[in-house]
Amino acid sequence: MTTPEPADPFEALFERGVTDGLPVVPPTRERVAAMVAGSGREAGEMIAFVPPNFGRASVEKIAINAVMAGCRPEYMPVVIAGVQAMCEDAFDLHGVSATTNFHSPLFIVNGPARTALDINCAAGVFGPGRRANGTIGRALRLIVANVGGASAKTMSMSTMAHPGRYTYCMGEHEEENPWDSLAVEHGFAAGHSTVAAFAGEAPHGVYDHQSRTAKDLLITISKSLEVVSHSKSTHHGDTLIVLSPEHARTIAGDGWSKADMRDFLWHRLRKPVSELVPGVDGGEGLPAHVLAKFPRPETDSTLIPKFREPANLKFIVAGGTAGRFSAVIPGWTFPKMSRLVIKKVQSREEGQ
Amino acid sequence: MTNEEFMDPTDSVAVPRKTATRLSTLDGKVITLLDISKAKGDHLLDRVEELIRERAKPQAIIRKKKPTFARPAPEDLRAEILKTSDAVIEALAD
Repeated sequence: MTTPEPADPFEALFERGVTDGLPVVPPTRERVAAMVAGSGREAGEMIAFVPPNFGRASVEKIAINAVMAGCRPEYMPVVIAGVQAMCEDAFDLHGVSATTNFHSPLFIVNGPARTALDINCAAGVFGPGRRANGTIGRALRLIVANVGGASAKTMSMSTMAHPGRYTYCMGEHEEENPWDSLAVEHGFAAGHSTVAAFAGEAPHGVYDHQSRTAKDLLITISKSLEVVSHSKSTHHGDTLIVLSPEHARTIAGDGWSKADMRDFLWHRLRKPVSELVPGVDGGEGLPAHVLAKFPRPETDSTLIPKFREPANLKFIVAGGTAGRFSAVIPGWTFPKMSRLVIKKVQSREEGQ
Repeated sequence: MTNEEFMDPTDSVAVPRKTATRLSTLDGKVITLLDISKAKGDHLLDRVEELIRERAKPQAIIRKKKPTFARPAPEDLRAEILKTSDAVIEALAD
């Protein structure tokens, strides 16, 4: 080191360029050793290569970042599952990290780990106040920047980003979910803990206090989904709809399944080519190579879907028990899309 | 506690990359123009090719395209560029 570091350890870590703009807990050997122990794994075990630089995320590197984020050692199995999920090829962390778009990985925890670690899934689920949500999400973001190399000052090219790039971690409110949880729906056992990674924009609120039927409420939600990216964008991939407990009860009370919701929304969210022509009602519209397939687009009634397939519409239940508010979280869709990826949490005991 | 005791959160081997030595001239060189496949990247590279041909005498200009901008260039494409070219200009547009 050519210049002396500041004596204050917090300032020294800012100087090293390894923080997210907030102070970090100094990663001393003792703290890192305790964090590694919390994983039940060996420090040198390789968990994943983190895009875009394909940095090596060993248990120890994950632990160092988890210490800095403020995690407790018992959070380590969840942090590790989060690393595994976001580093799966289907998630395309390379694209998500380097894009000019807004997105950040959102981590959704299901199963016993959610209650054991006090991960908030209820009132204020996307807000501050819980150590587990704040620090697990932050640790994963620090790993993307420090191990993957996608720090805000170098590889990350997002035009605006969003505040979830500091931390974006939630639980699903399974007790208020009238359907299978996200994890069970994707083939995991209810008794297992899982972490899902989803490349999401910030939550966009959907207010509906008056609908009393599934159909009416889903029409309201479809209007918010219609304007994801812009009102004429099409062929979106995985997109998350976070239903509040009150909204979920209204829909399930009419006997609608998740498949019914998907089918209804997917069909409703198609538009004729004639409404998607660039220069008609705004400059945006179908890209030239799609438009070229239609000789008279201004009058063509062929329906183009907003979402590639119904399965791209993902539902979870979260938030407080009071309030008829849901949220739409647009996913990262271009060009082959980032897919929602779920990984089972390996408990400390299973790691040993 | 001293600051030297803090452990490194980065993959210090993977992150710093050395750039190749810059060419002093494009004359007689093989140059690959790599389109990352964003819309209108070809327009930009067409103009870059014109300017190179105006200002230098390259041995050849090769045009290549990544299958998708959202992922790294495939290994075989990178190997081919490395084998055939003295320089590569990677460009995107939107």
